[in-house]
Amino acid sequence: MDLKLLLDWRLHLMVIVTSMFAEWIGIVRIPLGPGTLLLLPLLYAFIIGVIFNPHLFSAMGKVIPKPVSNAAGPIILIAILPFIAKFGSTIGPAIEQIIAAGPALILQELGNLGTMLIALPFAVLVLKMGREAIGATYSIAREPNIAIISDRYGLRSAEGIGIMGVYVVGTMFGTLYFALMAGYIASLDILDIRALAMACGVGSGSMVAACSAALAEAVPASKDELLAFAGASNLLTYATGLYVSLFIALPVTEWMYKRLKGSRQEVRHENS
Amino acid sequence: MKTHENSANQFDAEALKALRPENQLGKTALVLAAVCVAGWFSNIVNGSPLLDALPGMLILYVMVIIGLVIGRVCPFYLPSVAWVSLISIIATLPFFPGNGWIIARLAEVDFLAVVTPVLAYAGLALTGREFAMFRQTGWKLVIVALLVFTGTFIGSAVVAHVML
Repeated sequence: MDLKLLLDWRLHLMVIVTSMFAEWIGIVRIPLGPGTLLLLPLLYAFIIGVIFNPHLFSAMGKVIPKPVSNAAGPIILIAILPFIAKFGSTIGPAIEQIIAAGPALILQELGNLGTMLIALPFAVLVLKMGREAIGATYSIAREPNIAIISDRYGLRSAEGIGIMGVYVVGTMFGTLYFALMAGYIASLDILDIRALAMACGVGSGSMVAACSAALAEAVPASKDELLAFAGASNLLTYATGLYVSLFIALPVTEWMYKRLKGSRQEVRHENS
Repeated sequence: MKTHENSANQFDAEALKALRPENQLGKTALVLAAVCVAGWFSNIVNGSPLLDALPGMLILYVMVIIGLVIGRVCPFYLPSVAWVSLISIIATLPFFPGNGWIIARLAEVDFLAVVTPVLAYAGLALTGREFAMFRQTGWKLVIVALLVFTGTFIGSAVVAHVML
């Protein structure tokens, strides 16, 4: 990618103005049923970004031309890194608590297999999806998971279309959804808030950021501890995620898919 | 259908290989400086004034560069985010020299303020392909994706809750 585009002043100035405006609006709390929805500045920043995206409204090309918008893609990967460094600095000081929580932290990695537990039956039985459902639900559909699907089935296969769909939804709404969901579930006060923090570590920098930030805002008193747990869990997912999804998640999803398809066909036979 | 195939190929080639930040350190160092400036300004509103936050932002910058360099030279593959994270953890461990100073400087940088610019970049970066694919695959995959996210979050949380 051309360096001139990557360092285009319009792009970075736009981001600075957008971010400062979003920070200025601040955190908004909306009561919803038994819990509270938390709206964080990152949500407003994203929406403002989309509004100024020249691919959606071509008139915006005057502010941010399309090539500059394309350059912003690779920048995201770099922009998340200072945040990851800030995140790591919450883990160091809390190392004793993290070691004490070790077994929970390691075993909750298996909870990442939960991606297919609700989503796969729903996709196959309710939405009547085909093998797209395997690609879509076997993982959280981030880059390492795409690499696995691409390697095994190819990205133009049904499985590939499934994972790319979830990847795109994740890119567009994943961060926002995690912030809303985590903040809301925390406000319900059913599960241990530290357990929720560990669950934030799903192996995506921006998702864990939004998720743990929402938890920290929901329970400000234990902010440092929560960030440390989320960060440690996420690091563990980075280290193990690829192997868990390749050797456990994908075979399990294949097996579940066959069972679900099988049961559906039996039902059809009975009907006819 | 043809355009779709082309875009899938493009994704194969670009996103999975060339985009790894550690593979082009020079460019990454410059872009990283730009995004740090964005975070630095974003931090003014709810974090600290520019001068107070400067040492903290510089520490973050250096940590990232060290992490990327290790990712570059390391013989086995771990994502660069994992290396950056490890560097930062080690530098703030209780027995690391000067950890108190590092933590105090980093405290001037607000946690949320550094994420806000990332999402601004993300909003601006969505491509025509992503908007198109979103319209095409539509609501079914949106529902499935949200169930996937909910499933992994609840799954992990329940296991951790039981274990704690």
